[in-house]
Amino acid sequence: MATLAAIVGSKVVFAENFPDELEPIGLETNQQDDGIPGKSNQLKILNSKPWNAETPPHLLDDEVTPSHLMFVRNNGIPPTEVDVQNWTLTIDGESVNKPITFGIKELMNDFDHHSYNLTLECGGNGRSEFNPPAKGNQWGLGAVACTKWTGVRLKDILNKVGIKDNAVYIGYYGADTHLTGDPDKVVISRGVPIKKALEDETLIAWAMNDKAIPAMNGYPLRLVIGGWPASVSGKWLTRISVRDKEHDGPKMGGHSYRVPKFPVPPGTKVPDDQMKIIESMPVKSIITYPKTGAVIPKGGTFEVRGNAWAGDLKVTKMEISIDFGVNWTKCELKDPINRLAWQRWSTKVKLPEFGYYEVWARATDEKGVAQPMVLPGWNPKGYLNNASHRIAVRQA
Amino acid sequence: MDDKSLIETAIRQAKKTINIGLMVMVFCLFWFVQNQFYPDLFQGNDNISQLDSLQNDFVEPPMFELDSASIENGIHIPTGLIVDDGVQDVMTTCGACHSLDLVTQNRATEEGWKEIIVWMQETQGLWDLGDREEIIITYLGKNYAPENTGRRKNLENVEWYNL
Repeated sequence: MATLAAIVGSKVVFAENFPDELEPIGLETNQQDDGIPGKSNQLKILNSKPWNAETPPHLLDDEVTPSHLMFVRNNGIPPTEVDVQNWTLTIDGESVNKPITFGIKELMNDFDHHSYNLTLECGGNGRSEFNPPAKGNQWGLGAVACTKWTGVRLKDILNKVGIKDNAVYIGYYGADTHLTGDPDKVVISRGVPIKKALEDETLIAWAMNDKAIPAMNGYPLRLVIGGWPASVSGKWLTRISVRDKEHDGPKMGGHSYRVPKFPVPPGTKVPDDQMKIIESMPVKSIITYPKTGAVIPKGGTFEVRGNAWAGDLKVTKMEISIDFGVNWTKCELKDPINRLAWQRWSTKVKLPEFGYYEVWARATDEKGVAQPMVLPGWNPKGYLNNASHRIAVRQA
Repeated sequence: MDDKSLIETAIRQAKKTINIGLMVMVFCLFWFVQNQFYPDLFQGNDNISQLDSLQNDFVEPPMFELDSASIENGIHIPTGLIVDDGVQDVMTTCGACHSLDLVTQNRATEEGWKEIIVWMQETQGLWDLGDREEIIITYLGKNYAPENTGRRKNLENVEWYNL
């Protein structure tokens, strides 16, 4: 971050232009047919209006996900013209002493910069497996990424603004517009309890992987909160309200990002008041190598590797099985780069004889909670599917 | 006219004047209070006005024409929709706001599709579908019905390659 500090320290205050980090990628490139600005055409597009696309698991084979491979989950239409020079962030709400508005330059100049690798996973990742099915984008495995985010801590900003003792929640607002084109209709406005908001890793970020945030992931400013459904990380951020009650913006209530308070049989109609807000995401892992469908030469040994994460917690054990869960082999598991980053794991596998196999992966978190082999508890909107990832392999 | 009746008439006149005066004062007081403290007392509720204008202004998009050249194996290639009765209503109505991928990737019973429509009407600004609703729900319930996939499916569509 030395370069960023140098740029910010010596140039930004008076310069006409922002550093490279704030030059948009994706906006300037001509949009290709059926392509998402700034994104690899290898992403699987689930929806073109609004853009929603996921990453095939074998392309998530990095500790730090490259920007063009990070999934896209949009609820509305991203702002088309972004004026970085005049972009502002307002902190308001019942529980601030006085609302304050900051320009991006002020954020960069007035607060310490921090970088964290943060795992962002869509609450509905894995929805496609639910039975009975749940409505919405039918995510497979790839609505997850772990990228490096750079910005300032929300807690530093809130300290400067001054918040009252009665603060219980924050809620964000962004510059995206509703699909109906109604300029007054808020697309999505979610948030987290004040305790989560004040964690060190909760950032107001202007850079992802040391470059401007991709247009589809929130350029030029994003609230990033690792470990919780990625919908709490508000994109195209313009405002954060510090609330004296649970935030009540669109997609905080009803069935949105909520699950039943107690386990229910699949297909149950659950009344709104029996639902609770999803907080930390559950323990989960993916196999990023090999890609499913590998045919292994007779007697060959191959590496199996991937990523594991556990919301607010750390993953403490990683295992795989090649016999449909009868026997489990412990894998090597790295520590996260920082809290709330996913962890790399790997092991060597030798198949015993000719035939069809599945490699199943299972992570266990620091509280001893492991991934299920089948779908976890059914919920009406199909959230939190952390069933074990399986790939097919064959020995020739 | 005797004095008595003259006095009575005078009293009646006085009462009338006082009454009218009082009425005028009450009205003035009301007008003052409303203007000063409740200026929007007679304003329409914004939400309701908006709904009204939405319904008045909204013109249903023209019916999409199906071009037989764009249909292969019963699928309308540009949208991916199954060609069946009601497909044009689905294209024009659902496609007005979001891509039709959102239709083709979802599965629900007629009751489930109805709930999705109601949810979009309550929260996402979808208008009253009128006669089209039944056609659309029938089409979706028939062509995009759920299948029982159990608690876990077999791994499907595996593309084998040599590692």
